[in-house]
Amino acid sequence: MKDAPSERLDHRARLLWRITGAVQTLLIVLLSGGVIGGLFFGAGAPLYLWTIPAALTALAVLTLVVAIPTLRWRRWRYEIRSDEVDLQRGIVWVSRTLVPLARIQHVDTRTGPLERGLGLATVVFYTAAGPNQIPELSAPVAGEVRDRIAELAREQDEL
Amino acid sequence: MSSDPESHPEREEPHEADPDSGPEPGGVSGVESGAEVSVGPSRLHPAAMIISALRSARQWAGAAAIPGVAALFSGGLRPTTLLLVMLGVAVLVVGAGAWGFLSWRATTYSVSGPAFYLRRGVLQKSERTIPLDHVQSVDTVRGVVQRIFGVVELRVETAGGGVEESDASLPALSRASAAELRRAIEGGVVEPAGDEESGPREIRRLLSRELLIAGATSGQIGVALSVVAVGSQIFDEFFTEGFVRRLYDSLAPSSVTAVLVVAIAIGVFAWLLAIAGTVLAYAGFTLSRDEEFLYIRRGLLEKREATIPLARIQAVQLVEGILRQPLGLVMLRVESAGYGGSESGVSTTLFPLLPRRAAPDFLRDAVPEFSGALTAASLKRPPPRSLRRYVFRALAPAAVLLALALTSFYASGLSLPAWSYPAALLLLALSALLGWLRHRDAGWSYAAGCVVLRSRALARTTALAPRRKLQSRSSVSNPLQRRAGLAHLRVRVASGSGGAEFGVQDLEDHDARELVSWLGPVRL
Repeated sequence: MKDAPSERLDHRARLLWRITGAVQTLLIVLLSGGVIGGLFFGAGAPLYLWTIPAALTALAVLTLVVAIPTLRWRRWRYEIRSDEVDLQRGIVWVSRTLVPLARIQHVDTRTGPLERGLGLATVVFYTAAGPNQIPELSAPVAGEVRDRIAELAREQDEL
Repeated sequence: MSSDPESHPEREEPHEADPDSGPEPGGVSGVESGAEVSVGPSRLHPAAMIISALRSARQWAGAAAIPGVAALFSGGLRPTTLLLVMLGVAVLVVGAGAWGFLSWRATTYSVSGPAFYLRRGVLQKSERTIPLDHVQSVDTVRGVVQRIFGVVELRVETAGGGVEESDASLPALSRASAAELRRAIEGGVVEPAGDEESGPREIRRLLSRELLIAGATSGQIGVALSVVAVGSQIFDEFFTEGFVRRLYDSLAPSSVTAVLVVAIAIGVFAWLLAIAGTVLAYAGFTLSRDEEFLYIRRGLLEKREATIPLARIQAVQLVEGILRQPLGLVMLRVESAGYGGSESGVSTTLFPLLPRRAAPDFLRDAVPEFSGALTAASLKRPPPRSLRRYVFRALAPAAVLLALALTSFYASGLSLPAWSYPAALLLLALSALLGWLRHRDAGWSYAAGCVVLRSRALARTTALAPRRKLQSRSSVSNPLQRRAGLAHLRVRVASGSGGAEFGVQDLEDHDARELVSWLGPVRL
């Protein structure tokens, strides 16, 4: 097996993940702040308890907004070869998956509102054992990748 | 076409095609072809009304049971409550009956040209079209109710589609119409060679003795125990503590003996329950086969017949339960693609009990594609340095469990009973032993076009999957494994409407990576 697949995701993937991370952070802040405020300050608890939501916020920002998008982007690689799709992903648990093109049944591109705003799209390809995906490619690249996988899968079928 | 006198009432609608007059596609524009058999729009056997009524009655009763029982017990048993209950039951019976009739009237099926059509629905009408090419199998199931009325339930399984959408089920058909429908559907799929007369060859039948052994070693005791536990809670509701204590006292003089006696009694009861469950499910288990299909028949109360296309089988598993392995017995399962009714799960029992040394011959008879791998394979094993990880992984849950128990004891201020120390040690020792066994039994090999992966949870499972049917292969590792140069290997095969995964833990990293890349598509 080669050392790593050659292609990377689009740079804007990190931005997208940072935005979704920030939204998650906001939820954590609201939740922890709400719990602390409602539960403890109603009962007249000391003011330093506010350090808990503050610490949680800092931690969430560090992991969800800074670390995870960076590491995830750095790890994610893919390569479409003549007979297989090669995927590498994962931050702690690194997995390397090979999917034979002959096993691929159909391919989609998928794009949510946020992705669309950034000009990104996700390629999803389905085997009989479930879907695999290459997330956050720039929309034209995603289109090319989709068509290429479909084309190669069909050629494999004809063999 | 054979005519079944019992099935006449179902065709009394004048505008329906009369199927007894021959395979005329009444009102349906059938494709003119000799090979295709049409079945005009027909209704189910009238027994379907009763089956459907029973089903909805059960559903409604289930929904009403909890509030109903609560209302009963809160108010005590007064004449008014009794009256209300009787009124409720009457409404239920009449409603379910009416619903059964309406849904029977609304359900029609037909085969015409290249597709099977099923119309149904009382309020919300649905019409399902299943192209005959997409039909994977036609199964018949005979439940208790079906057997009372001498009818069969027919299930049409297709590839693809969701778990619930994947099949069309006809709950009651007379045997003649079931056979006719089966012929019409399978005529569009295969040559009608799989008929009863020309005969699929019987491969193996489960003997009564084997059935009992299968039950006794099923390992379903845990399930049965939980049933007993739930049962005993209900029991507790009805018998007061004082009564039970008096019962204990009269049965056995000392409390230790009483506890022991009760524990043993419950254990034996659960065990018998497990045996009974296995007997009901697997009695008369018969596997037969022709060129293209495997046929499985089983069941005592509910007779099941399943048809599995051989070409659809993706993997075979040999499962050696912890009680069966010492006896040299295995259970065989198959993973089969595009075949998985909502309740049959993704893998099907190929044969419930077999001596391990008979397995290679059995595989050669039943699924020849898989037989070479088992005999030729000498397994390669994970390296000795991964033993530590296997043991740790087995110990961790036990340690967490003990830590939780310990903290809860200290938190509640109780002192630990004397027996808890040896018990804890025993638990840890058994966990470590399990980890060691997992390491010893793990392995992989490749022979005769099949990858063989063996691993153990409690039972030892050997999975055989043909290389050309692997949907994907992965190597997975965390930072600690990468430092030690180890990685997990995982392969996925199609199964049911999703997939199944097999793997081996902690191989040499380069072995895992080489295997992943080498198991790729066969180059011509």
